[in-house]
Amino acid sequence: MSQLEAIEKQRKTGPGPASRHVKKVLKGNAAAALAARLCRVSFVTAYPITPQTSIIEEINAMIARKEFDATCVNMESEHSVFAALKGASLVGERVFTATSGQGLLYAHEVLHAIAHMRLPIVACNVGRPSYPWNIWADQTDSISQRDTGWIQFYCESAQEVLDTIIQSYKIAESSNMPVMVVLDAFYLSHTSENVYVPEQQLVDDFCPHERRTSDRVDPKDPKSFGGLVDPSKYDTYNRAHWEEMCRIEEQTDAVGREFEQFFGRNYGAVEAVNIGPQTKTVLVTMSSITTTARQVIADHEDTGLLKIRLFKPFPKDSVRKALDRTAKDCNVVAVDRNYTADREGALLQQLRQTMCKTDRKLFGVYAGLGGRDVSPQTIRNILDIDYSSPDTEEINWIQ
Amino acid sequence: MKPDTDFIITGEQVSKGALSCRGCGWSLLARYVSNVMGPETVYVVPACCFSIIAGPSPMNLMNGTVVHTLFAAAAATATGVRHALDRQGKQETNVVVLAGDGGTFDIGLQALSGAASREENILFICNNNGAYMNTGVQSSAGTPSGVRTTTDPSGKATPAKNVMEIIEAHNIPYFATASPAFLRDLQRKLEKAKEARGFRFLMVDGPCPPGHKHEPAISIELARIAVETRFFPLFESANGGIEINYFPQKNLPVDDYLKRQGRFAHLYSDGSESRAPASGQDSGAHANGNQTRETSGKNQEMLNAIQMQVDQQWEKLMGKQTVSKV
Ligand code: SF4
Repeated sequence: MSQLEAIEKQRKTGPGPASRHVKKVLKGNAAAALAARLCRVSFVTAYPITPQTSIIEEINAMIARKEFDATCVNMESEHSVFAALKGASLVGERVFTATSGQGLLYAHEVLHAIAHMRLPIVACNVGRPSYPWNIWADQTDSISQRDTGWIQFYCESAQEVLDTIIQSYKIAESSNMPVMVVLDAFYLSHTSENVYVPEQQLVDDFCPHERRTSDRVDPKDPKSFGGLVDPSKYDTYNRAHWEEMCRIEEQTDAVGREFEQFFGRNYGAVEAVNIGPQTKTVLVTMSSITTTARQVIADHEDTGLLKIRLFKPFPKDSVRKALDRTAKDCNVVAVDRNYTADREGALLQQLRQTMCKTDRKLFGVYAGLGGRDVSPQTIRNILDIDYSSPDTEEINWIQ
Repeated sequence: MKPDTDFIITGEQVSKGALSCRGCGWSLLARYVSNVMGPETVYVVPACCFSIIAGPSPMNLMNGTVVHTLFAAAAATATGVRHALDRQGKQETNVVVLAGDGGTFDIGLQALSGAASREENILFICNNNGAYMNTGVQSSAGTPSGVRTTTDPSGKATPAKNVMEIIEAHNIPYFATASPAFLRDLQRKLEKAKEARGFRFLMVDGPCPPGHKHEPAISIELARIAVETRFFPLFESANGGIEINYFPQKNLPVDDYLKRQGRFAHLYSDGSESRAPASGQDSGAHANGNQTRETSGKNQEMLNAIQMQVDQQWEKLMGKQTVSKV
């Protein structure tokens, strides 16, 4: 049962979390803006870049209509956008921004600083590539940030964008880690869908603004933040970050379960569909491609789907658990909408790492780069490849 | 106004043991700034000598909050700090950027311009020592022409960017230049800057013995000569118009300032010696004053050019004067 079906059912069966939602038709970007408001973000910075711009426009519009009690500052670059968030978060505010493509790449330096100053910032990225110039769906921008120390979620629907932002503040503030919520350009950002918008009280109860530490700027108690760290101590910061990163997969599942108690929709680090001993092929996907794959595999009894929702840190335990349910000769095919200038895309790289102790047959396809439509036929073309043949390439380009 | 030295530190806000070189303008400036600002101040510090002087993590030279930030991001980080404090009802807390000339003239200019044009309620102080000193004396857009640096081993061909005119174009409520050799003037400007609301900017001359290559003992003397020769004029602007704060009585040639610093020493040699300047602060100060060698024709041209730039800058300032104090 899909999340939407589950909530519809609850709506009919009487009081429960579902009754505390209003059904709206929203674009992914509008869902993101609304989520920031529902989370009672107090400080937002903005710089326009297609296709993110309608998120910050909507936030500014809500503030102007006095529906949203936040300060939004229109900065002069994405570098400044993230640097200002860093400053405001250090002072203790709950902050938000959204960016895309070149903007995220331009902010790269600040992303490192935010993650390693352990600031619980949540930012949306509407994924698009860099060069050749292109504004359509692609994960290259956010994948390029995977080593900055941010947690990354990739969303499948507008509903998931809204829900993931709410969960992200909880995860960010309990771990002192920044979270990037990624949605596909246009396929999600500018596509209208049914979205169940929770009532404010539900969000307030689920994620009150609570920092794990009190270490923040307090003018009455002067301290220094972010000073030089010498070689004798540097790795202790990395280690503390690593220890927290190692807990994020479990925490994502725990927060997802708790979210279900409040909102009636369940989320985890991954979602496994039709994966079992009978499965001959597993497609591994992220973002909106997952929805298309869901439809196609519904007619393929021997095909499973593994959706990666939490990409960074890569949910190794959940992936292994799902793939261990299949027979040894089951083929695993990663669908990568990102070009990493390496042989394989990011998803296949992570799968290889995760499954390196097995002799699992792993394949990768490049599909949907730069916004090329991944239609049901594209998915069928991916499934039509004979992965059992010794002549089949490990990496395939699909159009 | 006479040169003065009677800025009395009434409430020391700086710990002993600052990690600066001897004779450093930065560490003196920190004492004066913090004495006026008081402990309820958040200092935002991009990469510059002061990020070292302020102390490694978790040490804090200042009795005040220090937020270290990225080179290009001082004014942007300060923007976030300011708005967050305001949302918490802490409007009275000062937010002060302490940046070098690289973080002001070059890599920090975009964020500085953004914050100034948004009229952020921030005081931005630039300690202008005229090069990237923290990394061992490389040219910045604030490096005056003729100066030898490790990246301009034959001397910088172009004059320093006129950042004060860029600042002026932003129509901010208060901006000024100041010098550690004119302390009462510095104190008054700090107080004015503290009182004003909106974006405020102070450019302070930053003596730097290893970078400018002179003895630490003459830092303040040189800062005074910089003003007396009009190389570093003192002026301010409160709500439009420019007021020159000090009119040098004697018409001292800029030579008096240049020839006492090793960074200009090659301009006073005959060219037979083409030693590149020693790089890094580790090399220590290079006293190189009182050159007696003959100046080659090319060098004389550069010296004339520097004098002309100084004269033109002064003329321009005189032209902008709204209140005359001659
Ligand atoms: S290099 Fe110059 S500015 Fe830097 S600490 Fe030394 S004297 Fe001060």
